[in-house]
Amino acid sequence: MHNDDQWKDRYSRQTRFTPIGQAGQDRLREAAILIVGCGALGASLAQHMVRAGVGTVRLADRDYVEPSNLQRQMLFDEEDALAALPKAVAASNKLRRINSDVNIEPHVVDVTARNAAKLTKGIMLVLDGTDNVQTRLALSDCCFQSGIPLLYGGIAGSQGMSATLIPGETACLRCLIGGAEEGEAGETCETIGVISPIVDWIAALQAAEALKWLTGSRDALRRTWLSADLWPFQLFESNLPKPSVSCSYCSRSAVSMLTIRKMAKRKQRWDSTRGSDTVINGSAAEGSREESRGAERSREADLPSEVAHPTDDSKAAAHLGESIERDSPIRTAMLCGRDTVQVSMGRTIDLSMAEQYMAAHGLLVTSNPYLVRVQVQEGERLVLFPDGRILVQGTQDTSLAAALCDRYVQGIEEAAITANRLNRAGGQERS
Amino acid sequence: MSSKWKDFRLYVITGVNYHPGRSLMTVMEQTLQGGADIIQLRAKDMTKREVLAQAYALRKLTRHYDVPLIINDHIDIALAVDADGVHLGQDDLPLAEARRILGADRIIGISTHSIEQALRAERDGADYIGVGPVFPTGTKPGRQAVTTSYVQEAAQRIRIPFVAIGGITTSNVNEVLAAGAARICAVSAIVGSDDPAHECRSFLQAIHASDQSKPGQVDLKQIRVNGRAEQTSARHVTELVQQLGLEGKRIVVELNGQILARDAWGEAEIENGATLEMVHFVGGG
Repeated sequence: MHNDDQWKDRYSRQTRFTPIGQAGQDRLREAAILIVGCGALGASLAQHMVRAGVGTVRLADRDYVEPSNLQRQMLFDEEDALAALPKAVAASNKLRRINSDVNIEPHVVDVTARNAAKLTKGIMLVLDGTDNVQTRLALSDCCFQSGIPLLYGGIAGSQGMSATLIPGETACLRCLIGGAEEGEAGETCETIGVISPIVDWIAALQAAEALKWLTGSRDALRRTWLSADLWPFQLFESNLPKPSVSCSYCSRSAVSMLTIRKMAKRKQRWDSTRGSDTVINGSAAEGSREESRGAERSREADLPSEVAHPTDDSKAAAHLGESIERDSPIRTAMLCGRDTVQVSMGRTIDLSMAEQYMAAHGLLVTSNPYLVRVQVQEGERLVLFPDGRILVQGTQDTSLAAALCDRYVQGIEEAAITANRLNRAGGQERS
Repeated sequence: MSSKWKDFRLYVITGVNYHPGRSLMTVMEQTLQGGADIIQLRAKDMTKREVLAQAYALRKLTRHYDVPLIINDHIDIALAVDADGVHLGQDDLPLAEARRILGADRIIGISTHSIEQALRAERDGADYIGVGPVFPTGTKPGRQAVTTSYVQEAAQRIRIPFVAIGGITTSNVNEVLAAGAARICAVSAIVGSDDPAHECRSFLQAIHASDQSKPGQVDLKQIRVNGRAEQTSARHVTELVQQLGLEGKRIVVELNGQILARDAWGEAEIENGATLEMVHFVGGG
């Protein structure tokens, strides 16, 4: 934390901007946001939020840096790609150098309906930087259940879209684009490519709305669905619908008074920092001034930092493209357009054991503290994460990928048992 | 060229083998007198020089009657005689190539035998499609008839002009019209008859009679979808999405400046003059 005089002007250009001012800046410092996906949009969003001085920026991403990311993902460089660092980790490294005052929490994790609630704990705003429909729907569901606004952003080619979805005020993403029953994934960067200007354009739109929301300028929010194509320049904007009467996520009855009160409470907490009397949904914000952000921070402390493990929430909603193998906790998900299947083993993986085992079998292994990559004899490449996820690159066959992972992980675990036994035996001999 | 040609109702294709002893020009002039409003030169077993000669002659004739001339298959001949367009089969030069050679202004028609082919032709920028053969025909021996159920499908899902073709005669044309065709094409039934002009008038009578019995057609609403003028019979957004073949697609629909939640599609009525935007969801990040 900088206290020097030299840093006192850090946010001066932002506070000189009247709608934000010093009061807005204080609110930003008290704010906690979650950015899901730390690729092109996510990195750009994180950069905006960290430079602006948002107090806590939680980053969640399931992927690692590859050379094909560098053309547009602004926080990464060649070293990150060579080291195959997880994007959340590589981004945090950069972001901490940009602003060491910000509490940055990287989570190398696949955000699903199972762990979304945990990841959004203590969060006031979720920024969407994901690259797929499934994660977005899981996020929308979770945000509407917890009364957290979601800033949707999506890009592909030279096109992009963005919308601010607010529980109690607008329809949820599911009502706008359809749920899991719609077969189509939508265009993605993997299917039609993407140019870097649209990334920053859409991220800038999202970031502007985030600043408005976090500094309390609700009246200034852009309440539209905006879509644009930068190549044949086209811009299209239209009003968002109200919550759907029959939706189990966004209908006014679903967004219960409880969540609306929760929103009011959070809002009141920021307002208390500048003594404003904002009214939400017609009811005066409740809650006491005494309940400080510090208290809430300490409640968040149970959230693991650096690497989060997906928890087995009993309310695991169906996750599009994810199938549950019978008699086994292994779950698989196709990563659209990437020739990759993500396999979730349902148990943690000992990375050093994995590395030893693969190397002992003569396989080409590269590793860093966050993941192990190995080229297996079957032709695919496995990327193993300690939370029990494995990316199987070079296939779209989920059952083949699951079988492959099962075989190797069992091998790793058996090797670990043998090693333990030998260690113990060795110990006894020495004693 | 202007889009006036799209109003055609009776499309006649040449077939010299059906009128031995009578000249091509005599027969085709009779069809024009009878009201044929678009003519295609199809000459499969002739040298290019012979086709070219016929094309020049037909060009002169059709200009006189102010009717578009379409050349089957031969793009070079179409260009040489300044025909209005070409008609291509599924195995001919691909549409994109033909378009590049012919430019945006010439008409390109495509023969289709299934709704998939029809949708592809529409997507690829065909100006009209042929839908058939509706009934078994001697002009295309060995090809399975697609029946009027394909005509019905095309009527529901295809927005560019489509013309029903294949084995259609004055005795079965009503079935085809009832299935939703608004444009009819005939070869042998017209050029093979003793009185082609009379035959044409009979076809047109059936077509116009069918218009009267289809109140829905008169009620087609003029709307704009993504800036393009369209006509539709759809009552609400769900029907329109189906008609446009966008069912199951991840799209966001805006009606008159307001995005619609999906469960509101069925109640969102489409009125004359409605403006819609249908935007495909963009999923990258």
